[in-house]
This record gives sequence, structure tokens and C-alpha cells, in this order.
Amino acid sequence: MGMMGKERGMGKKKKRQKIILPPELPPEIPEDEVEVSDEDLQFFDENRDYAGFVSTLDTHSITRRRQAEKQKEESALQVDPVDALPVKTLDGELYYRTAPKKPKDSENAADKNEADGEDGNEGVDKSIVKLTKAERRAKLKKSKKEAKKQGKELDKTEDVQQTPQAAVLAEVKEDLTAEETFESKKRKLAELGMALLADPEANIKTLKEMLQISKDDDQAIVKLALLSLLAVFKDIIPGYRIRLPTEKELEMTVSKEVKKKRYYESTLLSTYKAYLQKLMALERQASFQHVVVRCICTLLDAVPHFNFRESLLAAVIKNISSSDDVVRKLCCATVKSLFTDDGKHGGEATVEAVQLIADHVKAHDCQLHPDSIEVFMYLTFDEDLGRPENPNEDNKVKNKKNKKRKNHGESGELQERDRKKNRQELVTKMREEVNADFRAASFAPDVKERRRMQSEALSAVFETYFRILKHSMRKISVRSEENGSSLPGASGNHPLLVPCLIGLGKFSHLIDLDFMGDLMNCLRKLACGSSNSDGSCNKLLTVSERLRCCIVAFKVMRNNLEALNVDLQEFFVQLYNLIIEYRPGRDQGEVLAEALKIMLCDDRQHDMQKAAAFIKRLATFSLCFGCAESMAALVTLKHLLQKNVKCRHLLENDAGGGSVLGSIVKYQPYASDPGQSGALASVLWELNLLSKHYHPAVSTMASNVSGMSAGHNQVYLAKVSPQQAFADLSLEHESFINPKNIVMKSNHKRKRGSGSSGAASINPTPDTATPIDEDGLKKKLSEHFTLLHDIKENERLRGELDRVTLSLQVYKEHKNQKKREHASKPKKNTEKTAS
Amino acid sequence: MGKLGKKARKFAKKNLQSVLKRKRKLKSMFKKKSSRGEQDAADDQLQDETNLLNGRNLEGEDIEGTSLDSIFSEDDSDVAGDDSDSDGFLSEDSSCMYVPQSENGNLLEDNGGGSALLVQNREIHLELAKKKKKLDRLKEKDPEFSKFLESYHKGLEELRNDENYSDEDEESDLNMQSMNEDSLNLKNAKLLTNSAIDSWCKIVGEQHNISALPSLLNGYRAACHYGTSSTSAVDAAASSYSIQNSETFCNILMFMLREADNIFRGLLGISCSSCRKETILDLKNTAKWKSLKPMVKSYLRSTLFLLNQVTDSEILAFSLTRLRASIIFFSAFPSLLRRLIKIAVHLWATGGGTVSSCAFLIIQDVALIFSSDCFDTCLIKTYKAFIAHSKFVKPGFYKHIQFLRNSFVELCSLDVEKSSKKALVSMQQLAKILQQGLRTRKKEAIEKICSWQYTNCIDLWVMFISANISDNSLQHLLFMIIQVINGVAYLFPGPRYLPLRLKTIQWLNHLSSSSGVFIPVASLVLDTLEYKIGKESGQPGKAFNISSAIKLPKHCLKSRKFQEECILSAIELLTVHFGQWSYHISFPELASIPLIRLRKFHETTIENLRHVVKRLIDQVEQNVEFVQKKRDEVAFSPNDQQSVESFLQLEKGGGGNAPFTQYYNSIMEKAASRSLLMNEKLPGSEKARKTGKVHDKGERLKVN
Repeated sequence: MGMMGKERGMGKKKKRQKIILPPELPPEIPEDEVEVSDEDLQFFDENRDYAGFVSTLDTHSITRRRQAEKQKEESALQVDPVDALPVKTLDGELYYRTAPKKPKDSENAADKNEADGEDGNEGVDKSIVKLTKAERRAKLKKSKKEAKKQGKELDKTEDVQQTPQAAVLAEVKEDLTAEETFESKKRKLAELGMALLADPEANIKTLKEMLQISKDDDQAIVKLALLSLLAVFKDIIPGYRIRLPTEKELEMTVSKEVKKKRYYESTLLSTYKAYLQKLMALERQASFQHVVVRCICTLLDAVPHFNFRESLLAAVIKNISSSDDVVRKLCCATVKSLFTDDGKHGGEATVEAVQLIADHVKAHDCQLHPDSIEVFMYLTFDEDLGRPENPNEDNKVKNKKNKKRKNHGESGELQERDRKKNRQELVTKMREEVNADFRAASFAPDVKERRRMQSEALSAVFETYFRILKHSMRKISVRSEENGSSLPGASGNHPLLVPCLIGLGKFSHLIDLDFMGDLMNCLRKLACGSSNSDGSCNKLLTVSERLRCCIVAFKVMRNNLEALNVDLQEFFVQLYNLIIEYRPGRDQGEVLAEALKIMLCDDRQHDMQKAAAFIKRLATFSLCFGCAESMAALVTLKHLLQKNVKCRHLLENDAGGGSVLGSIVKYQPYASDPGQSGALASVLWELNLLSKHYHPAVSTMASNVSGMSAGHNQVYLAKVSPQQAFADLSLEHESFINPKNIVMKSNHKRKRGSGSSGAASINPTPDTATPIDEDGLKKKLSEHFTLLHDIKENERLRGELDRVTLSLQVYKEHKNQKKREHASKPKKNTEKTAS
Repeated sequence: MGKLGKKARKFAKKNLQSVLKRKRKLKSMFKKKSSRGEQDAADDQLQDETNLLNGRNLEGEDIEGTSLDSIFSEDDSDVAGDDSDSDGFLSEDSSCMYVPQSENGNLLEDNGGGSALLVQNREIHLELAKKKKKLDRLKEKDPEFSKFLESYHKGLEELRNDENYSDEDEESDLNMQSMNEDSLNLKNAKLLTNSAIDSWCKIVGEQHNISALPSLLNGYRAACHYGTSSTSAVDAAASSYSIQNSETFCNILMFMLREADNIFRGLLGISCSSCRKETILDLKNTAKWKSLKPMVKSYLRSTLFLLNQVTDSEILAFSLTRLRASIIFFSAFPSLLRRLIKIAVHLWATGGGTVSSCAFLIIQDVALIFSSDCFDTCLIKTYKAFIAHSKFVKPGFYKHIQFLRNSFVELCSLDVEKSSKKALVSMQQLAKILQQGLRTRKKEAIEKICSWQYTNCIDLWVMFISANISDNSLQHLLFMIIQVINGVAYLFPGPRYLPLRLKTIQWLNHLSSSSGVFIPVASLVLDTLEYKIGKESGQPGKAFNISSAIKLPKHCLKSRKFQEECILSAIELLTVHFGQWSYHISFPELASIPLIRLRKFHETTIENLRHVVKRLIDQVEQNVEFVQKKRDEVAFSPNDQQSVESFLQLEKGGGGNAPFTQYYNSIMEKAASRSLLMNEKLPGSEKARKTGKVHDKGERLKVN
């Protein structure tokens, strides 16, 4: 079928050419240069009648057309074979209408297609398989060569062809209905796109045409056009940045090749620019937003090195905290890929993106979606990059100072030897320039450049983080001035705080020491959750957020090798109080477990008072909450006991343990300072109740801990971290379906509680020996009987009634029958009155 | 009102719309059930449930394959076969046939009159007379017509008969049976009169002569079947006897129900108290048994049939009690036994009050006497019925569900080992549903968990476990159910789920107190105090019953009533929790975090409830001090488990002298009176109880 259509189409074209064409121009290509595909040969054989003609025909363009048709069929457009015919002619004409000014190119295209056909690559495949850069370059070279050879001949023929075809076009266009217009536009888009993909050099002009389509009134067409253009651009944009020639350069005489190249590049660039402008304009319209954002993101992802990246980036960052989930996810994913795939753009885009995000956060006063900051987590900073040369790489202030000093010294030297080395200078200058150009072209920035970019990115990141912290602080102070009249805020008040804290934790080793003090102050205040002294009603930050503040503070200190002498005591106080503020369900248990791990398990300080206070509090804590929390607390508790031998006195009810007691002789369970709790004076009675815990793991752990003795120092350390313990026992993960997983303590005989009741006591059975009221029963029975009887009677009567009624009806029928048979009788009247 | 046989029901549906409407009103409780018979419906619902679960099942775990169906689907297919081996009718000894005198009084006259049916009957009667007159006149006038009519009727009848047989394939079993009997006994059909019954009774009862027994049993059978096969076509042939009037009907039923068991026992020489099935099995080969067997069977069959026909609770209760007395006879008739279980389970689940308990006694006896064969069947059937009936709980229905739960637990306790297997399967299913909910947080899964069916099922097993906790094999079940309950509490933190939250805490408290394990509930309780509801409107709000809902409507949340409910319930639950451990050595630590939170709450709570909170705080503090003082005196360490166990046991055993125990008791009293008040306030509980008695007749069509 397809073949038939093609043949027909071809026949038509041939006929037309027969009429229009002036005497044939024999192709000047030497026979051996033309590669004839198998298909061509086959076709040639099948159409012997035209053989004479065929030899004179523009075989290349025909082949191209056939391929184009095939492409069209394979593209997702559904083409009704019946409709296909007129459209095809239209397409043909369009092709010729736009082509005449660059006939060489079309010729080249055909040639190149055939040339590529060598390795079995038909045009169809090519349109689907993306060409690599190398391939494309090879193509370009080839086409240039051939262009030289085949020069101008075809120009004339095409000019002659143009006018009659235009007339036909106008005619056909009138016939098309609106729907057909849509279809044809769609097809045209596909055709143009295919052509461009097949040979960008030759068809670069059609880009503009596609762009024109995107200005259509029909939204669907516009969307399609945008997406097609996206596909085209993604494919044809070269792997380098296009620099348009300066006026000076334009004045210079250049070879044809260069001219052509310049034309190609300038067209590409100008269309690209126009396309981007179109995108930016449409982005504001809600109906286009999804499509446009998709286009922008894909482009930024695919060609971050190319011109106009800035505007793309700006658009992406603008949408990074969009309330539309789809848009936001797209943008975030794009930024993530920018960050993780540095090689594509040499890191420049990363810096720009980070800076843009920083500005964005600033502009919106930190009221953005958490996702917009979370992307920072995907940044990678190479620590080794600057260290050997410039150890204080992150320290901008010092860096600047160094630079200044250096420059100063250098300039002094230069002044002295200025004249002597003038010539030498020039040479080196030239060399530097060349090097710079090379670098710009090769995307391999040297170490210095990369360092600069990294430090810029870092400073932008930290600027953002600090801004968020300060903002959260400010909120607190504002709130406390308001005297907490508004409702205590949930995390919604500081949407960026959590990702910010996580990020700070991750990059804490890169933080400038100068900022350390400030940062710690910030964190301390945030961890308090209130600037007021009465922390009771001012829960502006959630427990999780405050816990995170503590965690970050510890991470920062640890990663800087605790070089700073910052007092972390206050964070311990916070944690001590936060433990009882914790609510399962509302707060994240994972965060609590992490805090326990980092602040208690990993802590190297050995303050016995503090350790004892935490041990006591954790034990108390595990009496109130679920098994996962209990387990995390118990693991930490065990850890502390193992590290602090003296704290094991808590395990014993030893009246004479006064030697280790601190200043406080009695345990103060409600003290808010671990140092003031006097926990050393207490006994861990909790373990007894915990060993009755319903969860076997918890009860085992509790008996384990209570079995630790103060006497000999066990050196083994627990293998599980609190986080692990929490995750293991949390309800989401634990499989309690299979009872085999649970090892019950076989010898553990539970005592029957006082409340337990035997089976007998819940006996619901009411009085079994109720004397049966026989009279009542008899009455009921007789009622039952009566009812049944009545129903029976009723049924019988109804049956009879039905029968009689039926008989009466039958009589009427009978009468009618009789009436038809005989003439009417005088009887009839009387009957009627009776009925 | 409302006592209808099968045929009669069919008829009423066709012709007595007004009566039907009235009935429907009463039936509202059970109208959800289809008329396809109890077992089918129960199966269906279970099927539905499993299907529903499977629908939620994203991982493709085949719940159906692993649980309910494989375990809980005993085949019920044998029931259908029962109907065919009909030998309900006994051949009679003609020598003692009592020749009925013609006491054909007008039947219509001895009716009390005034019932809607009666009025209607009269009307129809009048109309019929009128039409008949007319027809006769026509016939007279036109002899040709009468001929035509005759031929017409003949054709019609043939047609109708065809229809009858093709149409009622469902009931053909029964119909065929009765038809056959009809044709057999057509000639024997006699009128059963009161005097005949009396004389038979005398012969059998006083003279111990069994010659009249078959006649009596046939009469009994007729009475039980009365009204069931009363379509006009087979009316006369319904049984060998037609019953003269209501007195006769009462007489024969009463006599048989009252005396049959004694008569049979007397004839077979079994003592009245003996209820071992071996007694019957031993007799199996004796000639005496062989001669009596058909009669026993007829009696049992007829009585079972009667149970299906009657809806009045008194009659049902009486027949059930009598049937229970002769339960050992069922050992000879396994198919009848299955039918008995089916009927009993149905009556247990749907009947209210005494009927339910009588039915349960039968189930229990069956499970006990025929434990080897029937225990599982009973367990599964009752479980299914319970699950099916716990879908919707209305205020008044709650008690019935509780009764069902308790009696089921009692049944389970007869054989803990067997039933714990079933419990495990059921609980695994609960756990699976819960885990899906936890993992996916899909709306459907959540709704599945937050349903009466789910909570009632948990409730059931909680009761079972806590009742039998002394059995060591239940330990893993205990752990599992606690985890499930915790999961439920974790999944529904919001204030709207307050009733569910309270339930979970109650369960945990219950389990903890019965098993003696420690289950931390303090945080769960205290969460209810910290619900963020926004500004309270200050309006008292409508009364709502916490125990009769799972999820509260939104408008409730802002009412003062809700806040009161929160605080009072929290205090009650916390008191129970503390009360359990009030003598434990770690009580001070157990109470310390709750005390901190309670104090904080005390400052912010509304004025009129502040003192209640304050009282709790004071009491707890007092007890803390008390335990601490005692603790300071001891010398042992925490790892000395034995000494810890004995700590304060003396005081505990000494009765409620400790202040906290007194406080605990007073709170419990208040709680009881509060819930009583709540239930009284709520309308509808009385009504629901009434409707509980009315059964959906359609359900029971298929049971027999």
C-alpha cells in the first residue's frame, strides 16, 4: 500500500517534471561517485518504462523524498492513507518552495544520505538514532566537498519550477478544512523536523519556518512546535559555544566554506534566541507552563554549555520552588543534574545556578519550598583542589589578602624590569591569550579557575544557609515580641530550615573558621527554640528542628577536629530537655536517634554527672514511649554505661556510693540541667519494669543492662547504633506477622495478673433455667397459627378471584370472536351494560 | 405479627404490600443481608472482606490464599444433600387411628378478627362472590361460552404446570419432595382435631404405648410444616394431616416439645442427665434403636424445620432449649447435626437476648459433646458470623456484639490449642492489613483499618488472649496483638480518631493487666490531652457516645463536650495504667514524664476541669512519695529480680488501703456511672434492641 502510494506520487511528479522541465541537464557527477542504494536499483528495475527519464532525473532528491515519506510514516502521526495523497503533493511543493535559494544544500543532503547509506544507515534510522558529534562533523566535511563539485547547475531548474508550483499550492490550500490544516501542520512540523535532523546544514533555514509555526493560534500546534523545536535543537546544537564574528572579522575575505559555516551558525543562533524568547514569553501563560518548563529544563540539561544558558538558568531557578509539583520536580531534577554532571559545562553553570538560588532565596525572604534548597545536597566540592596551593581556600578574606599582597609584589618587580622584558612580555601575553581561548573552547578549566568557581559556589551556598538561619532567628525574636499571640508554628514557618541544617551538616568541614562562632551562636539560639527565658509556650521550632540544630552543631565541631574551643554544654542541656518533649508520631524518631548517636554515643567527653543524668533520663524515657524509641534509648544507655564505668553505680542500690556523688545528694527528676539533676544518687529501677516489657527485644536488653556490673570493665561495645535500633523496631519495618521471628523466653513464666479472669467469669450465658411461660407460649403459637391460616386463606381466595376474573375476561374475548363471526346481535347491548 | 412460613412469605410479597412495608420497618436491622440464606451470606461477607483486602494488596501477597479461605472454609456442600433423604413421614399404626368426628367449625370464626389480613380476606371474599355470580349468569345465558371456558382453562393449567416446574428449580428439591408426599398421602389427608391429639397424648404419655407415637409425630410434622406448602395447587396434599384450629396446633407442638425428649429417653432407657454421645453410639445396633430411629429423626427434623419457620423469640427460645435437651440424639444423624449447627449459629448471631444465648448453649454443647468433629466447624461458623455481624455497630447493637464476642471467647476457651491456631491466622491477616496501611498510607487501606469490622476483630482476640493468657502458647499471639494495636494507634493520631485511640489504650491496659507484662501507654494517653483543636467554641455541643463510634464527625471537635471527654477518658486510662503499677518499685520513674506533661497541661486547661487533673497529679505524687519512701528502705539492687518482685506485695495484698488504690476505685466508679449516663442519654438504644429480635426471614429460607 505504502509502496503504491509512493509510486503514484512519484509518477505524478515525473509527469509534472515532464511538462515543466526544460531539456534535461545530465548530472555531472561521475558515475563512480554516486552511490546507488539497493532500493533505487530495485525501483529502477521495476519501472523500466521510465528508465529513459530516470536517468535524467534528480535521483537524489527523489531518494530523499522516499526516505522522508518513510520517516513521516514512522513518526507518531497517524496518516490516513486516503488523505495522504493531496498532502503529499503539498509537501512536495513546500519543499520546493523553500528550497530554491539553497538548492545545493538539498542536493548535498541527498548525496550525503546516500553516502551514509554505505554502512546500511538509511535516513529513517538516522532520524531516530542520534548522530554523534564526530559523525556530524564528518558529514559536514563531506557535504562541503561535494558542494564544491556540484556547484551551480541546479539553480536554474529550480527557479523555473517555482512559479507553477506556488499556484497549485494556493489552490490546494483552499480545499483544506480546518481539521486538515491541523493535520497538515502537524505533518509539516514532522517533515521539517525530520529534514533538519537528517541534515541540519542543508535545512537550517527551515528552523525559522518551524519557529513561525510556533506562533500559530492553535495552542496544540504551538505546543507541538515547541516540542519539535526542542527535539531539533537538542540534536543539532554543537558541542561548543557559538561566537558570532565581529565586524572586523566579517570584513575579512574568507573561503566559501567559512561563509557557509558562519551562515549556519548565525541562523542557528538567531533562531535559538528567538525560540528562547518565545519560551520565556509563553512561560507566563498557565496553559503553556508545563510544556515550556519541560522545554527549558531539557535544554538546560542537554546543552548547558551553549549560548543563552543564563536565561535558561534564570527561568529554571525561578520555577524551582513552584507550587506546581510537576514543574518543581522538573526544575529540581535539572539543577541536580547540572550539579552532578559538572563535565558538561565546566562547572560554570553550577556556580551560576547556586548564585541564582541564593538570590532567589534572598528575594523571597526564605519562604520557599524546601526542595529549592535541597538541591545543594547534590553539590560536590573537591577538597583537595585548593588545599596544597592555598590552604585557606574557603576563607575568602584571607584569600583576598594574599592575592593583594602578591599583586603588590609583582607589580613592584615589573616596574623595575619593565623595559628589559618588554618583548618577552608580549610573547607571553600572546601565549596566555591563546591559552585562554583554548581553554574557553576546550571546557577544561585549569585548577585555578576551578578553585575560583568552587569558592564562589561555596560562598553562595553558605550565604544562603546563613541567611536562612538568621531568618529563622529573626522570626523567633519577632514572635516573642508578639508574646506568642499567634499559634505556635509548625515547620511551615521555616520551610527551608530543615534542608539548610542537613546541608550545613554535610558541608560543615568546608565552613570558614571565621564564621564558626557566629554559626554556633545561631544554632544555640535555634536549639533553645526561643529567645525568651520561659520556653514553655514558645515552641516556634519543632522538636525535630531543634534536635537537628544540636546535631549540626556537633557535626560542625567534629569535622573541624574540635579545633575551636566552643562550649557545647548548652546543646546537652537542650537535648536533655528535648528528650521529654519528644512525641512519637509528631516528631521524627530517626532524628532523635541520630541526635543520641552523635551527641551521646560518639561524644568523647567524660563528664560523669552529665552521663549519669542522661542515663537516668533515657531510662525514664523508655518507660513512656513505643518500643522503637525505647530500644534506641536503651542502646544509648548501654553505650554510656560501658564508657562510664563509674556510672554503673546507678545499677546498684548502694547506700555507701557517696564517694561518687556530686554536690547534689538527691535525684531531681524535674531539673532541666543535666548537671544539676544529681542523677548519680539515683538507682536505675526502671530496668525492672522494662524487663517486663511486652517486646522481647526491649525486655532482653533491659535485663542485659541490669546485668552489667560495676566490678570488671567490659570492653565490648554495642554493635548497633541507636538509629539502627530505632529502624529495626519501628512499626513500618518490623515484621510481626511471622511469629517465628520472635524468640520468646521459654522459661519466663508470666504471672497471672490480678485482673485476669478465667473463662468462667466472662460467661455471658444468661439464666438458663427460666421457667417457661406455657400460657404465653400457647398464645404465641396460636397467633402464629392464625396468621399462617389467614395467609393460606387469603391466597386461596385470591387464586379463586383471579380465576373468576380471568373467566370474565375470557368471556369478553369469546364474545368478540363471536361478534366477528356473526353479525351483531341485539344481545350485545345488554351485555355491555352488565359489564 | 411477623410469623410467616416460606410459601406464605412468597405470597405476602406478592399480595400484601402494606403488611410487608410494616415488616420492613422492623427488619431494618438486618435488611443488609441478602435472602440467600445465612451461610451464603456469611460466606459472602467474608469473601467480600478478603476480596477487599486483596484489592488493597499492592505487593500481590495472596491473603486469600494464605488465610481465611484455606483455614476457614469447611465445606458446607453436604447440606444440600440432606433434603433428599426425606423420611419425615412415618407409617402409622392404623389400629389406633382416631377417626375424626366432623367438628368442622367455621375456621374464620375462631379467629380473633381485626387483623389486616382478615379484613382483606373478607373483602376479597365479597368480591369473589360478586364475580362468581356474574360468571354464573353469563354461563347460563351462553352455554357456548362455558364450553369455551373449559377448554381454555385446560390449556392454561397445562401451561402453568410447566411453568411451575421450570421456574422453581431452586426450590424444586423441596417442592418435589412435598409433591411426592402429596401424591402418596393424598388419600390419607385427614383433619387433625384436638380430641385426637388429646387421646394420642394420653396413649403415649400415660400408657407408654408407642403405637400412637408415629401418628403423633406425623401430626407434629404437619404442625411444623404448617403454612409452608400452602399454594392452592398442593394445598390439600401438604401433609397427611390438615390442622383444624389453633388450639390443636398449640397442643401438638407443646406436647411434643415438652415430652418428646423424655419419651425417647424413656423408651431407650437413657437417663435424663446423660449427655455423652457414646450412649447413643452404643445403642446403635440394638433393635430398640432401630425401631425408634426413624421416629427420633422425624422429631429432630421437624423441630429444626420449626426453628426456621418461627420468628417469635419465645417460641424460638423454648424450642432451642428443648432441642438442647435431646442433643445427644444428633450423634446418630451427622447431616442433621450440621444443620443444627448452622441454624444455631444463625440464631446466635441474629437473634437477640434469650434466643442468642439459648442458641449459644447449643453451640457450646455441640462443641463439647462432639468436640473431635465439630469443634472446628463451630468455631469457624461462629467466627464468620461474628465478623459478618460486626460490620456496623449501632448504639444499641453494641451490647449484642459484646455478647457475641464474649460467647465466642468462651467457645474458644473450650479448646485453647485449636482456637489459637485459628486466632493466629486471623491475626496475621489483621497484621498484614495494618502493614499495608503503614507502608502505603493509601486511603482504602486506612479506611479498612478504621472500621468496625477491624476493631471488633481485634477486640475479639484481645479478649480471647487475656482470658487464656495462662496458657503459655499464647505468648506470641500476645506480642502480635500488641504490635497490631500499637500500629493502629500510631496510624491514627488525629483528634477525630479519639474513640479509636481510647479503644486501643483500653485494649493495651486490658492485655497488660491480664498478662502482667509492661506495655507503655502513657504517651498514647497524654497525646489525647494535647490535641490541637483550635479555639473551642464554648458550646456544650451535642451528646455523642464515644463507645459507639470510631471516628468523630468534625463538628464535635470544637465542642466543650469533646474536651471533657478527652480529659476524663485520659484520666481514667492513665489511672488504670498507673493503678496496675502503683506498687511497683519503678513507679516514681514511670510517673515522672507523665507528671511533667500533666503539670504543663494543668496550667493551660479549662477552668472547670482543672481540679480533676490536679487531683490526679496529687494522687500520683503521693504514690510516688510512698513508693520512694519504701524504696529507700530496701537494700537490694535492680538486678535482684526476686526481691523486686516481692517489693510491696504485702501492701498490695492487704487490700485497698493505699491512697492510690482508693483513688483508682473512685475513678473507676465514676467512669462506670459516666458511661451509664452516656448510654441512657442516647436515644435509639432501646429501639435497636427490639429490632434485634426481628429476623430477616429471607436469610433463613436456605438454612433448611
